[in-house]
Amino acid sequence: MSAVISGLNIKNIFEYNSGLSYSKYDVIDFQLHTGYSLYPNYTGFGQTGLTTWFNNDSLEYFQTDGGFNVTGWTNLVTDSGKLIQTNDNVNLRPFVNFNEYYVDINGPESISGTGFASNSRTIFVIVEAGGITYPQQTQKLLKFGTSNTYGFIKLSGSNTLDNAKVFIDDQSNNAISSIYNSKNIFTIIQNNADSSLKLRQNGIQIGNYASYNSAWSNSTLTLGDNNDNESLKYYELIHFSGVLPETDIVKYEKYLYEKYFNNKRLYFAKSDVPTGYQYSPITFTGANYWTQDIDDLFKMTYGSTASFTAALSNLDMGDGYQTNVAKNLNTLNSNFTIAYNGLTDIQAKALIAFFENTPEAPKRSVYEGFKGVNINLFTPYKKNAELYFKDINHNSPYNNINNIQISAESLYDSSINYKGMLVELDEIKIRTYSSPIDQLAYNDIFYYNSVSYGDRGYYFYTGENYANTEDTIFFPTAIAPENSPTGNNSWFTKDFYFKGDIDFGIDSKIRLKVNDAKNSTIEYDKDGINYNLLEINVSFNNRSNSEARAILKFLDDKAGFKTFKYTLPQPYNKQIIVYCPEWNHTYKFYDNNDIVIKLKEIKAPFDIQTAFDTRLYFSI
Amino acid sequence: MAKFINYRNLTFSLNGEKYYASKVSLSAKSSPTPVLLNDGSLLDYAPENAVLGNLSVDFYLTGSFPSYINITGLNESAVSGVFAGVSITGLYPKDISFSVEPFQPIVISANFDWYGNVNVQSFVENTQSDINNFQTPNYVANAYRSFMNTNNLDGINNIISFDYSASCERPSFFYVDEKLPFRVAKLNRRCNVSLKSNALGDLIDIDGKSVNSVITLRDTYGDILDTFAISGVLIDQSYDVTNGQYMIASANISQTIADKKTLI
Repeated sequence: MSAVISGLNIKNIFEYNSGLSYSKYDVIDFQLHTGYSLYPNYTGFGQTGLTTWFNNDSLEYFQTDGGFNVTGWTNLVTDSGKLIQTNDNVNLRPFVNFNEYYVDINGPESISGTGFASNSRTIFVIVEAGGITYPQQTQKLLKFGTSNTYGFIKLSGSNTLDNAKVFIDDQSNNAISSIYNSKNIFTIIQNNADSSLKLRQNGIQIGNYASYNSAWSNSTLTLGDNNDNESLKYYELIHFSGVLPETDIVKYEKYLYEKYFNNKRLYFAKSDVPTGYQYSPITFTGANYWTQDIDDLFKMTYGSTASFTAALSNLDMGDGYQTNVAKNLNTLNSNFTIAYNGLTDIQAKALIAFFENTPEAPKRSVYEGFKGVNINLFTPYKKNAELYFKDINHNSPYNNINNIQISAESLYDSSINYKGMLVELDEIKIRTYSSPIDQLAYNDIFYYNSVSYGDRGYYFYTGENYANTEDTIFFPTAIAPENSPTGNNSWFTKDFYFKGDIDFGIDSKIRLKVNDAKNSTIEYDKDGINYNLLEINVSFNNRSNSEARAILKFLDDKAGFKTFKYTLPQPYNKQIIVYCPEWNHTYKFYDNNDIVIKLKEIKAPFDIQTAFDTRLYFSI
Repeated sequence: MAKFINYRNLTFSLNGEKYYASKVSLSAKSSPTPVLLNDGSLLDYAPENAVLGNLSVDFYLTGSFPSYINITGLNESAVSGVFAGVSITGLYPKDISFSVEPFQPIVISANFDWYGNVNVQSFVENTQSDINNFQTPNYVANAYRSFMNTNNLDGINNIISFDYSASCERPSFFYVDEKLPFRVAKLNRRCNVSLKSNALGDLIDIDGKSVNSVITLRDTYGDILDTFAISGVLIDQSYDVTNGQYMIASANISQTIADKKTLI
């Protein structure tokens, strides 16, 4: 059992076995082959015939020039041939990337050497080829020989099923999985006894060529030597003399897979999967059956929520005056509780396994933590969010009914993105303003683009100064400048025009100074001026999707600290300046949303525009 | 003059099979809630749930009980129905019941939840050809030959009449942005038998009295149409007698359906 499986709280998850069929929602750990892997120089089971072993585990294995260009790659098997580049032209020398486990051989760069002669051999090479410019182009992975007749393995064609080709000399073979921009383990089994040269890609045989060139027995091996725009990353190359039995081949292939693919993320069946290795997750065909994308498996249900909190430091200036100091560039923290209700036991098993496996995602970069889960959020939030799953709440009210809520955090969305943090300018529901507009409906949201910081931003159509109706208005003709978002008689507003629920409560607390002398009655003094600052929660329950989108876009745009005007309900009826550091949203049912916002009154001049965003203008 | 559709010319079918229904009721219910604003105005009416329909039907059993309206089983699939020419594709059975009383035909009552759009403006009567081809059933379930087995009923021997019912709740689950459920599950499946007899054996204990029986429904010719098993607890007993009458004992048997989970 792999460490990945043993780390789960779910039983009956196994390594992928191509001899089995699978049902939708089945979960597997894909490690290329079942069973154990073998280190190439392990001789515990007898002599293996290992004659060549190149890898990038240590910089000591390379001879380089002053520019860290490779002049030699040491064979880890002693007294065996090594690969060198003796040409004085540095442009023909590959490059060692200190941070990576591969040698980069670009275009005409190459390394070659002798001492690799064998009539029968088994070669394992793990390589990542960059894309090619046009499908007819070929890209040599390796070649044997020095004369005009070489023994080749070449890549060609476009990167799709039946079009991606791997050549043995002139014989074309269909690749089983992506050949460009992804790692591939190629296994070459050259058997002089039956004059066959078999080629395996990622553990499955894709070619068998009887008429291979005689140069395949030559002692000279060359890597690289391609056209200018091609690149190959060589991770490891292992060469055994003689033909290894398949039982050994799969162990060495698995060694390479475990070492370089480092794939600890589980795969989930998105439909019933037939038996056969061609349906394994890393093949072209298998991609239609297996997924690591949660949206391929599950859709959110009503009851999903979003909450936002601004991380602010309040700077108290005395007399009730204060200013908010943002702790960092992005003050707004967003958390989502994603509901997946009504799942069967099999679906719940898959979802819980997905949740528990999320920390096994690859790192975002060498300097950062693991990647979050790419997910389509619910209306009105962005569709390409990256969330970190943190908590799971699972309850089962009855046999085969499971309700799961996953709490997740968004870390990489930015308030300074002019398109919005999580309620984005998508040009569908939220559009860039241009006249004419084919139709206008109450709560429609527009981004008004302007070089003026004060003018640009998001505006909401309310029908004010025009139809005073909440019906959709078809408006095929141009909107006059005075009716545009910034016009004198605008039909749009930038203000908070939303009205809270009829049932509301406002608690007010007077800010007082307390003189508490011992053995005496305490005395109260007013704390300077502005001692009646409000902090209130306003509810917007049962609101339509369009109104919810408008409210949430307004708040998203304010980023938790920007101030706006709010008119208190009767009997107050006064307009005050507030900011909104917290709000919660629940998508309850179709066209029905609950939103609760916290408003804090602030005494500050309102005419200051906080307008720092990523919208840039350049003048020539 | 308004035209009213006449029952005599209507047909009712489930999953393509015609049933001889004595009564069909179709209803739909929405649950909007008013949205009142803090300035006193009414903003709108917001939907709180999907349109939930109910179909109840009383029909005569002319063959084996249809498996697709089995309440106690695990199958959650929807049933399709046609009533007066109108199709309903998302019918979810939630309870059935019938009474067996001396010499009376047995009428099955079934209730369904339904979701989806039903074209209720398109009710039509049968064509003359349908009416001409309408065949009256020769065999219907009748209490005359139907019975409830008393072997394991702890002293209950002479059953005068009994009622059988099976029911479950059908919670529905919706994806976001959808008005129709992706799943209508089954919850709290149970069946119940209430019977009248001359005697009920020993008094029930604090945990009731374990009993089991099988109800066999037959037509008037004695052919078995279907059987209904119950294995539960007898939970109440009552004895009633009125002046000049025999004492009648009544009891209720309740069974909660349980399915041991298969290891996945």
